[in-house]
Amino acid sequence: MSESVLTARTEPISRARRGFVRRWLGNPWRKPTILATVTWVYLAWSLIPLVVAIAVSFNVSRSISSVNPFSLHWWWSDPIDSLYHDPELHTAVIQSLKLSVTTMVIAVPLGVAFALGIDRWHGRPATGVNFVMLLSFVMPEIILGLSLFFVFSFVLKSVPLGTPAQILGLVTFQISYPVIIVRARLLTIGKDYEEAAMDLGATPKQSIRAVLLPMLYPAILASAAIVFADTIDDFVTVRYLSGPASSEPLSVKIYGAARAEPTPAVNAAATFMLLATLIVAALAYILYRVVTKGQRGGGVTDLATQF
Amino acid sequence: MDPKDLSRRNFLIRAGATAAAIPTLSAILDACTKPGATISGSSAFQIARPDNPVTLPMNGEPIATDTPIEQGATLEILNWSVYMWKYVLNQFIQQQSGNGIKFSGISTFNNMDEGVQKLQSGKVKADVFFPTIDVLGKLVAADLLQPLNHDLIPALQQDNWAAFQNPYYDQEWRYSVPYTIYTTGIGYRRDIIHDDVIHGMDNPWSILWDPQYKGQIGVYPSYRDVMAIALMKNGITDLNTGQDADLEKVRTDLLAMIDATSPLIAYDAAYNKLPKGKFAAVTAWSGDIVAAWGYNPPYTQSAYQNVGYWFPADRKGPIDNDLIAIPKNAEHPRLAHEFINYWIAFKNAMNNFSWNGYQPPQTKADVNALTHEQGLYSKQSSSWAAPTPYVGPWQPDAAVRESDFPIGYREGPLPADVDDRWHEIWSEFQAGVGQ
Amino acid sequence: MSVSSEAQPVRRRRPRRARAVDERVHYSRWFWPSFTIPATIWLAILFILPLYTVVSIAFGTVDPIFRNALPVYEPWWWSGEQFGRVLHDSFGFYRNVYIHTFEYVIVASAICLVLSYAVAYYVARYGGKRKALLLVLLIAPFFISYLMRMLAWINLLDTNGYVNKVMSFLHLTSHPVDWLGGRPFTVVMGLVYGYIPYMILPLYAFLDRIDPNLLEAGRDLGAGPARTFFRVTLPLSRPGILAALVIVSLPMFGDYYTQNLLSGSPKTTMLGNLIDEAVNSTGQGPKAAVFVLILMILVLIPMLYYMRSTARSLTTR
Repeated sequence: MSESVLTARTEPISRARRGFVRRWLGNPWRKPTILATVTWVYLAWSLIPLVVAIAVSFNVSRSISSVNPFSLHWWWSDPIDSLYHDPELHTAVIQSLKLSVTTMVIAVPLGVAFALGIDRWHGRPATGVNFVMLLSFVMPEIILGLSLFFVFSFVLKSVPLGTPAQILGLVTFQISYPVIIVRARLLTIGKDYEEAAMDLGATPKQSIRAVLLPMLYPAILASAAIVFADTIDDFVTVRYLSGPASSEPLSVKIYGAARAEPTPAVNAAATFMLLATLIVAALAYILYRVVTKGQRGGGVTDLATQF
Repeated sequence: MDPKDLSRRNFLIRAGATAAAIPTLSAILDACTKPGATISGSSAFQIARPDNPVTLPMNGEPIATDTPIEQGATLEILNWSVYMWKYVLNQFIQQQSGNGIKFSGISTFNNMDEGVQKLQSGKVKADVFFPTIDVLGKLVAADLLQPLNHDLIPALQQDNWAAFQNPYYDQEWRYSVPYTIYTTGIGYRRDIIHDDVIHGMDNPWSILWDPQYKGQIGVYPSYRDVMAIALMKNGITDLNTGQDADLEKVRTDLLAMIDATSPLIAYDAAYNKLPKGKFAAVTAWSGDIVAAWGYNPPYTQSAYQNVGYWFPADRKGPIDNDLIAIPKNAEHPRLAHEFINYWIAFKNAMNNFSWNGYQPPQTKADVNALTHEQGLYSKQSSSWAAPTPYVGPWQPDAAVRESDFPIGYREGPLPADVDDRWHEIWSEFQAGVGQ
Repeated sequence: MSVSSEAQPVRRRRPRRARAVDERVHYSRWFWPSFTIPATIWLAILFILPLYTVVSIAFGTVDPIFRNALPVYEPWWWSGEQFGRVLHDSFGFYRNVYIHTFEYVIVASAICLVLSYAVAYYVARYGGKRKALLLVLLIAPFFISYLMRMLAWINLLDTNGYVNKVMSFLHLTSHPVDWLGGRPFTVVMGLVYGYIPYMILPLYAFLDRIDPNLLEAGRDLGAGPARTFFRVTLPLSRPGILAALVIVSLPMFGDYYTQNLLSGSPKTTMLGNLIDEAVNSTGQGPKAAVFVLILMILVLIPMLYYMRSTARSLTTR
């Protein structure tokens, strides 16, 4: 008698408990807790080390493995090693900025022009040229960097290793980014607007300037921002093509210092670079929103699909 | 010909192809001879040995004594990393500020191969370069260095040891001045390996092969030094050997080291990783061990005393000195001479020594006093580090004496094919075979 | 009569040009191709020529003093000596390096894939109001120097660093672990950390484009979430997965700095390290060139696949 009462009481509960998990798994409209957890854990894993690295730059002591706030010692107090006083770190930061801006200014127009041309050009030579452009996009950077080093050492000897070689190399590496981004955009734009403009009497050149280019501004901006960001921490190419100490950008200095005993001044320099890049990115985003007013294709979500 | 072929398009294509072909035609004519090894300069460089001193050929004239110091120059230095104290450098820069001197950092390398590579490829147009003895002959043969004007560097004769007055590798000091002196031995943690243990061993060189310290052994990325230690372990004292039997022993020993102790390669193995406890024993240059205190948190006396140095008691081991030279393509040779004279002057050399740990061969320095005199860097670091003399008394073997040189073993230049074989063995070691 | 007088002005207003590329649009033949000329010349000189130089060095000779590379530009003088020597050593003592490289790249790519797919899927399907914020956080690593991110990990993985502190706090280990001392685990996780942002965004873009109606249809037909995923979502995202895998594994093959920063041991040497070490010593120029060629051959197929998928995505909607 008592047994049956016991079993009668426990059975429905355990069945319900078993069923709970199954029902939870089987509910198509449940909240995606596992995925959400994974995502937020990933974001934490991705960004917390950076917070620590930034915090270390404000350390009081020389230690880089623990955080002891708060001091601007490594930012400008120390007369030899701080970011403000150390000529090595200065030159490195300035070199990084110099390289990125110059590369952006050269690579984006070349790439945009190429994208416009290749999109409308058909035929075998076009396929060949397109092949070369795509090859430069997919090639691992070490191959590109080394081959450029060899070419500047043996063939194009008039180009000195250092800033000139680095700029030439970086543009070669980056030129495919604007091409890809602008072509993707051209695909969504199509030829209708130009044709409409020409039906209304514009010459080809006018229709490009007045109709096509304005529609491409978001893509051009996005590619400029990407080229800037990619170049500012480029490492492989600039290291092989660097010359005198003044041509080593911050990425190379960090690499050299990281394997030795880096002081928090290196973290300070990297944080400074980060700030500069974020400011440029924010400016680019603001411009992007301004330019895409009224166009479909503005907003962060669409920007993300450009990658 | 078909009229179609004469269309404008085809014509342009053919014309373009022909135009492109014309330069290659002349190149083809040039290329009718097989490309060989024709290089400028004498192809046979002299192999210098202590019993075979070498007078290097003069590649042109040194700069004139009355050359003015270049104005507005950016001083370019190509040196090992972590070898020059910024403080002393800054003092030089300030001293020369009247000449508008600029400085944006030292170009560095982590092993001599890399350094020569940077110099040769024209990557760095250095005003001053710091080679080792084994590459000096090659650099002169390849016309990469310029002869020095000794009137501009009086400190050389005044301050340096007699042993360096007319060195075997560069008689008359035509191209180089001595920079620092050091021995190559074993650096070790005195708290893990007691002094008696290592001093009591039959063959202390073999401690790097002791499986007891697996995962705690570090070696330099410098093929000459690590292979020299393998040679010393086998009792072979010719550190420039090209004998097959010797090299084979080195090869098997290096591969055995990987199995036995899984060493790591690090250029800062001795001055940085050893004090931080990452290693128990490392290949070490004496200067690295002397400088280790500055990388040894919490910077107390007891922390400093954990780092020891072993070198054979009879002082018969690898010993050498580094050099300063001026590259041929230096843009500011007069400034370079000024710099060298400044850098080897007694006060500056000792200050630099207090920071980088590498003794300069200074006549005015009393070697016996080094273990109880405090250097400038130690004085300046009083806010965060306990005081320490130039050379800690717990590392007496790390001090170098003039008497060590005649009995020690020098690493000299290797003939190209022998060098090739040394590099092969080193590549094999680096590739981590035998795990 | 009136019709023809109207027709004439129309004809005169459309001037005839040379044969057009597109029928309805009147451009000269060379109009569009001329846009591509600057970039083409640039690539010819600074991309094609360097690759040819690499081949010339790999099949060239050496100088007698420093054993430096002497490139040979004429194909008929090319000698396979350097190539043969390196190939022989590759099957000999470098074999393990190749094995490692493949191991690390495959494992790291697999981890990247699983993790990025989960994150991209979540953001694409369940992002909702927070989508913009999530995307900003995901894009952020692009604007942060790769080296700074590695530097951050060097700080954390130090023997006295926070990782060890947390692990001993949670009693996971009895003594500090030496993370930076030559562990394949550290190198693989370093690769994952470094390259995962490059995978998440393309995957997100791809998953975002999957029509949610298809998933609803699957559900309407009775499939639970798991079955919908395996039967509908996964097959649809296959091209995206392949492309993302290639995007990430290609640079990993040539990576050397992650290994150098997070390990120092010959045991975790990768192919990129062999190349880098060869360049940085005298007399190893030809060796470096040969390794570069070998690397190119090894990644040729993924490269071609990537090129094709990119080309296709640029010409078809």
